[in-house]
Amino acid sequence: MESRVLKPILALYVAAFILFLYGPFFVLTILSFQQGPDGGPQFPIIEWSTYWYQQIFGLTPPSRIAPLPVGEALIRSLVLAFMTMVTSTVLGVMSAQAFRRKFRGSTVVFYLIVLGMMVPGVLTGLGTSLLANNVIGITRHWYTTAFATHVAYTYPFAFLVMLAILNRFDGSVEEAAWSLGVNPWTTFRKVTFPLIFPGVLSAMLFAFTLSLDEFPRSLFAAGGTEDQTLPLAIYGTFSVEIHPNIFAFGVLTTLFSFALLSVYGVLMGLSVRRARKLAMQEDIA
Amino acid sequence: MTDATVAPKRRGSSWLILPGIIWMALFMVVPILMICYVSFWTQTTFNISSTPTLASWKQFFSSDTYTGALWTTVRIWLIVLATTFAIGYPTALFVGLFVKSKTLSTVLLVICVIPFWTSFLIRVLAWRPMLGKEGAINIILMKLHIISQPIEVLLFTELSVIIGMSQIYCVFMVGPIAFMLGRIDRNIIEAARDLGAGFGRIFWKIIFPLSLPGVVVGAIFVSVMVLGEFATSGALSGRKVNLLGNIIVTQVGSLKWAMASVTGVILTVVMGMVIAVFLRIVDLKQEL
Amino acid sequence: MTTETAIFRVDGVTKSYGGVKALDSVMLEAGVNEYLSLLGPSGSGKTTLLRVIAGFEVPDAGRVYFQGRDITGLPAHERGIGFVFQNFALFPHLTVRKNVAFGLMYGGETVSAAETDKRTQAVIDMVGLTGMEDRGVDQISGGQRQRVALARTLVMQPKLVLLDEPLGALDANLRGRMRNELRAIRERMGVTFLHVTGSETEALAMGDSVVVLDRGRIIQAGKPDDVYSTPASPAVAHFLNRFNLFSGKLSQGVFTGPFGTVAVPKATRAADDVYAIRYDRVRAQPIGAVTSGPALKATYIASEYLGSSVMNFFETADGKVVEVEHHLSLGAPQTFEPRQDYLLTWTPDQAIVFGREGK
Repeated sequence: MESRVLKPILALYVAAFILFLYGPFFVLTILSFQQGPDGGPQFPIIEWSTYWYQQIFGLTPPSRIAPLPVGEALIRSLVLAFMTMVTSTVLGVMSAQAFRRKFRGSTVVFYLIVLGMMVPGVLTGLGTSLLANNVIGITRHWYTTAFATHVAYTYPFAFLVMLAILNRFDGSVEEAAWSLGVNPWTTFRKVTFPLIFPGVLSAMLFAFTLSLDEFPRSLFAAGGTEDQTLPLAIYGTFSVEIHPNIFAFGVLTTLFSFALLSVYGVLMGLSVRRARKLAMQEDIA
Repeated sequence: MTDATVAPKRRGSSWLILPGIIWMALFMVVPILMICYVSFWTQTTFNISSTPTLASWKQFFSSDTYTGALWTTVRIWLIVLATTFAIGYPTALFVGLFVKSKTLSTVLLVICVIPFWTSFLIRVLAWRPMLGKEGAINIILMKLHIISQPIEVLLFTELSVIIGMSQIYCVFMVGPIAFMLGRIDRNIIEAARDLGAGFGRIFWKIIFPLSLPGVVVGAIFVSVMVLGEFATSGALSGRKVNLLGNIIVTQVGSLKWAMASVTGVILTVVMGMVIAVFLRIVDLKQEL
Repeated sequence: MTTETAIFRVDGVTKSYGGVKALDSVMLEAGVNEYLSLLGPSGSGKTTLLRVIAGFEVPDAGRVYFQGRDITGLPAHERGIGFVFQNFALFPHLTVRKNVAFGLMYGGETVSAAETDKRTQAVIDMVGLTGMEDRGVDQISGGQRQRVALARTLVMQPKLVLLDEPLGALDANLRGRMRNELRAIRERMGVTFLHVTGSETEALAMGDSVVVLDRGRIIQAGKPDDVYSTPASPAVAHFLNRFNLFSGKLSQGVFTGPFGTVAVPKATRAADDVYAIRYDRVRAQPIGAVTSGPALKATYIASEYLGSSVMNFFETADGKVVEVEHHLSLGAPQTFEPRQDYLLTWTPDQAIVFGREGK
């Protein structure tokens, strides 16, 4: 490869690419420190301040700009993301476990599950709200209809992660446990699950973050204002004037995400010992 | 005794798949069938009844607003597909093929993924102070004396929607392509170079064909997301760009369920055709 | 067939994978406190047979009996049959002690904690792993892993242990040591071992009796001596890897092969006419020597020292390699000139002849 010429050019290109990816976020971070409550969401910065951060936590005196309606929405979103995470991970592990044996119609079932990540959220959301609203006639809530669509969206991701993990899993340790008189369920709890735990953790992380940021499905499938999730609350500010408080909120959620990622990293690190042991056993086999 | 036939008792775990199938059938397949069904319902100003009619379908195809939204969707989809590919491929080439250290390529991929930890809607909104008349780009360009007047077409136009979507979705191109490029056996490239092939020839004859499955997977990701979009177009075009998704949102907002359903069916059909074409190029299940 | 004396019995077991028969109505039984070797080339179905007995696979037809009870439909964890895997299949996330105690802790029968500790420690001591109890299974050597795999199975006090090429993953040195140890441990425990192997040396050395499996069928079963000295078919002779096999024609008590014609007083019935002579029964003589028996001209190629014997390789005119083994206990080996022709001969009544007209 003429890497002497091409490589530096591509390296520069990648640098520009990263700038393109991060540019808006830098601007957003700068503007989140805009003076308040009169400073707008644009340049120039009138005066640096943490006013908008204080406003999010209700530490500023009331002004003409209403604080973001995020408190309850955030809790709803976290609860929803947690419910979704648990349900879709359980479903994902079960399905991937079933896929370890060949069964009739497995290809059809595979595509049925993958459909959940292929079909745009608008369609799932619209269809579910039609079903609930016009056909069955039940009220939509974040913890019913929206929850159902969230799981239908995140479960395929959990399934694919677990499928990849179980494809590489050596089943002879399970057979060894059976031959010692241990029933399949105990074998799963004491042998299979500890060994696939890193994968389960990834599946959970996927499901949680996807659900936390899920927006089109919630828009249709969650109910009214009392059912708003966090993305819906942010979307609500779209139509009205936007203020730097939403930027400050963006910075905070990103920091929260990093905290979450760190927890995941630590948990992963703890289970890496096990994974290494598994890898070593595979080397022998 | 020898020919005693055994009814093989399935020590199977097939029942484990049932909850998943049921969930997807109830909350994925039935809702989509619902959209098809309701698209034939009779819509009045304040009400909707299940009397079958083609009225909403006729209305969709006779209105410039609706058919226009269809063409806008297809146009923006094609443009964003092209831009994400153009932006993403060289990056993937660097990350997947040119970077020799595995750590560095992982670090670069993580850097690409980090922006996803910011809420999608806030990432969209962040483009407003970038592109606006008094936005960062105009300020920088004017400070550099490249322009004397702020560029106004940057925000609240189709261009801003395309810029925004390209940035948000280009990573979905980079990932799969870099993955496929990383799997290429370097010895093949070395061998080709020993035979005197230049980089251009190696690229077109070896690298690009081998990365094609990654391109297709990336294209499927981007297509699925762009075709179903409505938030980016809503936030960055100042309601000037209407995609099929925007039509669905506004129709549902005014309780016009039948029209929303017609639009939904059309979106489903477009989506189905796009995915079918891509899957024709590459067998997805085989590549996984 | 009496189920009372047999610890297990396999009755007409058939198993196919995608139309290919891995097992074809196999009949097999073993007594209490017996060491049974199951010899077969790869693809002979030997592992499948073991997995059917263990309950990991369900046979298409036939029955499996264990301690007089029909267990064909019983799931693996209710059978009480031990299984030692070729790759050991230790639980990688547990220590040596936890690996060994696993069955007692989580198995069907409830065993008190004190009893579990006592039995676990006893077995660990027996297989010689004392002091390793708290190590992870990735911190011990291959031979020690093999012992953990064995201890984990034996602690459950099964009446039958199935071993699937248990020495396959060990290096040659260790394999020899573990062979003796396996036998000793089995005798101490009084349990029946069914040991599957692809190595004829292992099968003959370890089993009280040897069963030879080929393409899903049992083609011979008997004491190692009998199998070794009187293989029942050309295929068995071939697997034993101790015989030069010549094809030819057997007609009215006379075998015609590349070495001329030889009178055959006694032949074993088989589908093909094959003349088998053990490696150590063949002698090589200078080309001009006078021989009374069969004579085969062959070119000397090379020799290989095998410790207690020397193996000499000769090539006949039609490209067939003939092996001549010389036991060093019988005196110093002959020296041969490379690329030189020699006359190979043997005493005709030491040959084993198979043929369509055999009995």
